[in-house]
Amino acid sequence: MSADPLLSLKNLGKRFGSLQALEGVSLDVRLGSVQCLLGENGAGKSTLCNLIFGVYEPSQGDMTFDGAAWAPESPAVALEKGIAMVHQHFSLVPRMTVVENLMLGQVKGVLKRHEFGARIRDIAESFGFTLDPDSVVNELSVGERQRAEIVKCLMRDPKLLVLDEPTAVLPPGEIGALLDICRRVADSGRAVILVTHKLAEIAKVADRVAVLRTGRLVADESMAEADMGALVHAMVGRELRPLDVALAESDEDVAAPEAPRGFALVCDGLTVHDRHGAVRLDNFTLEIRPGEIVGLAGVEGNGQSELGMVLAGLLRPTEGHFYIGGSDLTHAGAAAVTAAGGGIVPEDRHAVACVTAMSVAENMFLNKLDRFTRFGLLQRSALSAAAEKQMKAFDVRAAGPEVAFSGLSGGNQQKAVLARELTLDPLVALVAAQPTRGLDVSAVEAVYRQIRAAARRGVGVLLISSELDELLAVADRVAVLYRGRLVGERPAEMSERGAIGALMSGQIVSGQVA
Amino acid sequence: MTDRRRLLGMAVPFIAVVGSMIAGLLLIALSGKDVPDAIEAFMDGAVGSAFAIGASINRAVALSLVGLGFILAFRANLTNVGGEGQIAVGGIAATALGLWPPIASLPLGLAVIIPLLGGTVAGAFWGGIAGFMKVRFGTNEVISTLLLGFVALLAVYWCVQSTALLRQPQTSSATLPESLPIGDAAKLPSLTGNSESPLHIGLVICLLLAVATAIVLQRSTFGLRLRAIGLNELAARRAGMPGGILLVVALAMAGAFGGLAGAIMLQGEQYYLKTGFSSGYGFDGLVVGLLSRGSTVGVLAGALFFGFLRSGGISMEIMAQVPAALTLVIQGLIVIAVAGSVIVVEKLQGAR
Repeated sequence: MSADPLLSLKNLGKRFGSLQALEGVSLDVRLGSVQCLLGENGAGKSTLCNLIFGVYEPSQGDMTFDGAAWAPESPAVALEKGIAMVHQHFSLVPRMTVVENLMLGQVKGVLKRHEFGARIRDIAESFGFTLDPDSVVNELSVGERQRAEIVKCLMRDPKLLVLDEPTAVLPPGEIGALLDICRRVADSGRAVILVTHKLAEIAKVADRVAVLRTGRLVADESMAEADMGALVHAMVGRELRPLDVALAESDEDVAAPEAPRGFALVCDGLTVHDRHGAVRLDNFTLEIRPGEIVGLAGVEGNGQSELGMVLAGLLRPTEGHFYIGGSDLTHAGAAAVTAAGGGIVPEDRHAVACVTAMSVAENMFLNKLDRFTRFGLLQRSALSAAAEKQMKAFDVRAAGPEVAFSGLSGGNQQKAVLARELTLDPLVALVAAQPTRGLDVSAVEAVYRQIRAAARRGVGVLLISSELDELLAVADRVAVLYRGRLVGERPAEMSERGAIGALMSGQIVSGQVA
Repeated sequence: MTDRRRLLGMAVPFIAVVGSMIAGLLLIALSGKDVPDAIEAFMDGAVGSAFAIGASINRAVALSLVGLGFILAFRANLTNVGGEGQIAVGGIAATALGLWPPIASLPLGLAVIIPLLGGTVAGAFWGGIAGFMKVRFGTNEVISTLLLGFVALLAVYWCVQSTALLRQPQTSSATLPESLPIGDAAKLPSLTGNSESPLHIGLVICLLLAVATAIVLQRSTFGLRLRAIGLNELAARRAGMPGGILLVVALAMAGAFGGLAGAIMLQGEQYYLKTGFSSGYGFDGLVVGLLSRGSTVGVLAGALFFGFLRSGGISMEIMAQVPAALTLVIQGLIVIAVAGSVIVVEKLQGAR
């Protein structure tokens, strides 16, 4: 492995408008090795892959591939020169067979199905798996579809295979098989770049691991020397920022919450299976007292989204129950969650929290429109006045209550959503999922200040976040979710950081080996 | 600048319509018919007499109702293409109730009102089926409303073929497969009192409903909820709105308007049920709804235009022997011109 690297990136950068997506990335990828690329959502992993694959053109820096300068004009060129990529979203025609799909774009003139099918079978076998060329794609499992995509790439005999988040779509049982394939592809004398944000799986397969955070390469080491805790830190860690100082302020001046009067939020054995029967959330049990902030840590994609949807009343769990203020809301729906005092700040703001094409006022009272309705007619002036008042109270900055919600910055949108959910009457529990994603520091601070103020008033808060430092600063205790299971719980103290990191990476799984 | 914009917004569609009409006249000339004859026949049929005007407005009433229903459902991002079938079931219900002796003898105009309501309810039910299928099974409403339309058209056929249903008693082999005409008590009262003009109170009903629709869409909380669910169903459900019920209600309302249109067509002008009773009003109403871009005034304007166009077209066909297919071609040209001019206006205004 001492020879020249197959692919070499030097000081690579990519800028989209005012956003510096990638900056100063230098990385070498060698033949015969699996290079893992680790990072949170938005860290720049996909951008990097797209630069290598010719989707984008770099703004700075140089690449060399196979001993020559590398500047592919398009993915087609990259494919021809020996780089193949499996995208997160598959590009197979669902109603055609595997062989028909793989022949698309590769065969001209007469179709020789049998010959081609035999080739598919050979390639699959040489990499240690099976694939039936005559099965119809929409009858295949996700894992099988992915293997078809991989074969499609391997038919081009590439020198470098790039897999973008291949494990994100797979149920846990199929991940091991995919990692085996990666290993075999590398052992056949090619190079593999494996993009992921799940830590545990890289330990099995990676030769080297590089970590991206906010567009910069923050770690690049050989797997043999890498320390899991350090990788977690590199991936999610942050330097001490003004936020942490603000959040560390004492709030002793406020009386401690009154003695617990039952639980604000109780999750009892919540289990969610997805459409394919894979377990996304596994027997999740958690109790939150009034006035308590419980952080739920975990690398994204470990069941947080499903939990958020269940608690929002938008997804019926396969098993288990949840209670807000003592009432069972498992099958009651979103309106009942709101009525019982469950404030929800959804993870996906644009898809679930608001209707961006409607006005700020309409969005801020979307769940309370009845309050402004007389004889079926909406009292617009009352709605506007109420919205204006609340915009002031929650520091939502917009040109007015009637402007479109889509015109607000992410921070102001989030403050508006928070305002709507925190002004429920009664408010018993608040479930906030990734509430600071994409916000700037001052907005982050405002969001957490509001959440803490709510807790002081006796609201039980479940804070779902992949930002470990923020959880440690805000929460009273931190529970950790890994592959849909609650794998442990620690006090929210800086000294627990390593232990929580280990839980997040799946190194310690109670009762089950990772 | 805003004046110029407004001028542009009106001038472009106007030019487009005039242009497509000229193109239509050219087509008539090419087909070997006499153009001045055709124009005269067209004007005669559309506005030539009190009868012609009344008949044109009655057509416009039916088209407006279907169009109003369309924009209501469209607010929730639902495309109701089943107007034709909703008219048909409305017509069946109105005929059945209008012919039923106990109802025909009711006082206080109930003999008129009950068949009208019956037609409305039947249409609502027909639209509601599509809504239920959408919510329950995820069936695309474009497909379900369209196919339910065919079912309804065949139901009309069945009704008028079977004496056990609505077919008039068969006295000889020449008895047509039609229902008996409804009694005078069930006919819509004339609006003018003038026996020359067929104009009936359907116009008043239609205008009242247009105002109501405008209020629902612009002022009511229900209208806002329809909009929310149309723009982002998941967010609307998160905000506690009953997503499924709203979708069913929206399609049922669209159907109700279609059913009422059917009842008004039957009780206002046709008086008896026969095969092909809905004669394309459902689809023309759909076009009216689409071209209006969600505006109630747009629906009324479009329906008037199409109402006169249809009357004139029929007259052209009969008096000037212009082939029926050609009038449809001209109608299609105008639709394309109006729809296209909207895009042109947006481009021109956007460019400034």
